Amino acid sequence: MPTPALQRVLCVEDDPDIRTILEFSLADVGGLQVRCCDSGTAALAALADFAPDLVLLDVMMPGMSGPDTLRALRALPVMQGVPVVFLTAKALPHELETLLLQGATGVIVKPFDPMTLPQDILPYWEHGRGVAGPQEGGAG
Amino acid sequence: MPLHVLVADDIAASRGQACDLVVSLGHVAHPVGSGAATLERVAIGGIDLVLLDLLMPDMDGFEVTRRLRRHQTLRWLPVIVTSALQGDDHFVLALEQGADDCLARPLHAPLLGAKLRHYERVLALQAGLGLAAARHQAILDNVVEPVLTLDAAGRIQDHNRAASTLCDPGGEPVHHGMPQERLTGEPWPAVRQRRQLALRRRGGQRLVVEPGWSCWQGQGTAQHTVVMRDVSEREHVRRMQEEFLATVSHELRTPLTSLLGAIGLMAGSAAGALPPRAAALATMARRNGERLERLIDDVLDLTKIEGDRLALSLRPLAVAPLVLDAIAAIASLAQTRGIQVLADDGLPTHAAQLRLDGERFQQVLANLLSNAIKHSPPQGVVRVALQADAQAVRVTVRDHGAGVPAAFRARLFEKFAQADGSDGRAHGGTGLGLHIARLLVERMGGQIALDAVDGPGACFSLVFPVQDSGDDRRPGVLLVDAAASSPDLLQELAGDLVQVAHCTTIPAAGAWAQARVVLANPQAQGDADAFVASLRRAAGGRPLLLWGDCIDADYAARVGLPWLPGRRADRAALRAWLREAAPIP
Repeated sequence: MPTPALQRVLCVEDDPDIRTILEFSLADVGGLQVRCCDSGTAALAALADFAPDLVLLDVMMPGMSGPDTLRALRALPVMQGVPVVFLTAKALPHELETLLLQGATGVIVKPFDPMTLPQDILPYWEHGRGVAGPQEGGAG
Repeated sequence: MPLHVLVADDIAASRGQACDLVVSLGHVAHPVGSGAATLERVAIGGIDLVLLDLLMPDMDGFEVTRRLRRHQTLRWLPVIVTSALQGDDHFVLALEQGADDCLARPLHAPLLGAKLRHYERVLALQAGLGLAAARHQAILDNVVEPVLTLDAAGRIQDHNRAASTLCDPGGEPVHHGMPQERLTGEPWPAVRQRRQLALRRRGGQRLVVEPGWSCWQGQGTAQHTVVMRDVSEREHVRRMQEEFLATVSHELRTPLTSLLGAIGLMAGSAAGALPPRAAALATMARRNGERLERLIDDVLDLTKIEGDRLALSLRPLAVAPLVLDAIAAIASLAQTRGIQVLADDGLPTHAAQLRLDGERFQQVLANLLSNAIKHSPPQGVVRVALQADAQAVRVTVRDHGAGVPAAFRARLFEKFAQADGSDGRAHGGTGLGLHIARLLVERMGGQIALDAVDGPGACFSLVFPVQDSGDDRRPGVLLVDAAASSPDLLQELAGDLVQVAHCTTIPAAGAWAQARVVLANPQAQGDADAFVASLRRAAGGRPLLLWGDCIDADYAARVGLPWLPGRRADRAALRAWLREAAPIP
């Protein structure tokens, strides 16, 4: 069975300018299908008609924070095995540790390079699939 | 000093005789005619001793003695019972009820005199002890810090006034016999290793304290007294400042993300090809944005170090793997510039261990390596060497660039020092890197220096004295875990049984020298099966334990290794495994 390609990325980010950069980077540069949401609540609602292969999640958001959103996503059966990567402006090593311990697949530190972001997220996608174990065949 | 003697007797004649005798011996007599009157009179105070007739009609001497002994303040009052009954049985009974002494009637004057003199001495000693105890209690109660005394099993024996409002999570106040764990949440005796404890007061107020322990021998066993310095206010201020710094960092980086992102997309022609002159401007803007980013990082680092808010997590670490990791981390920069970074042959594989903060040590190395790369001529070589002897460990980074101008060497490690402005701009430096490196190295107990070299180029050295660990015979445990906080957790769970060294990935052979056993967490190490396989090869037969909650018992059984679930591991199970795998020599 050939390895499926990373296709759909869900971005959750409250800053509209950074959302624009993310969309530009992942869609225009990376050729991916991108859905951007401005809050954790909007992200959960978006799952109704968008099944992401990977989620990029801002950490500090008003209302539902990144870690809150991560917990809500992880509780959903459809999100099992979908890698979630935090985007954070916090760069202290112990803060990154804490985020990883909360169950994130990886952390990308802001500012990120939009020209390389589509490649930078690939290892997390592959790693996430490895941890999830062998793919279940079909839709069950 | 004459004693005030209460003479209790229901028969007036014998009461009178006893009073006369007491007065004739130089003391003061206070006659009462019943048991009830005895209790009333002693309650008023001023009585030193009771001469108590056992046989009285309303309340006999036995009952009076029992009641006195149950009384909070009167239980120490000396009681001499008297009786005209034949035999000793009733005296034995009275002494068992708590009487101090007995005398047969009729009273024998010299014997009564001798006994009263004896109680004068006992009362004087008691008064002295009482005074000393009251003084100690007054001092303790006026100490503003909570003070607890614990027995050898960690149960609370007594406490001062400042500790009296402490309570357990359920609101139960501190009391005699309460295990200290109910207050501190930390097991005994590991609690004595903690630098800070979180306590609560009745009413829900939380406080953070720094405990100071002293151990002394009392009643044949060890007793522990702990004075708890309240640092809640300091911790609060520290947290506020940390939050402020985190917010500043976040607020500066968020606009920078959009700014650099937009410029990066433009410079990368993601929005269409730019005319050459516009592309040059976009590249310039990006270069300076990146410089601003580094400056923000450096200023925040410096603010932390200078404000003494940088928490270093120092632990024994093998130096060689840290050096190799730092070289690997800089590889892409070196490649971009066409520079080779080479570790000298024979990085010592024996025990070059230091107490370091691994992250910060690598930050220093990264700074030295990136400086060396930036200042190297095209196709240049940067050499990294590690030498270790009994006194010191020395790491050197040598480049073959232009070297440091003589006039500038003295200011090299100062704030915003750069050989000249144009040089700094050309290399995108912030002028803070070497200053921060020096502060970090000094905080870790080492020194950074610019060495004299033959020929062109510069050579920076880090020298750390080797700490004397001659007395530490605890078995070494190597923990391979990507999480930096995990060794603290393991050390805490394992207590004093072992000393923990830490590597984030399977390290080079040098780090294994002191390890008797190996714990490894497959989280964030790529494919778990491949990780376990290379771990087995590297461990060379040492006992291995899989650690962490990204795997489970089924997985561990499949690869044939013991397993514990990391932070949720049962302390006793971990210790049992360690004791068996690495007995103390």
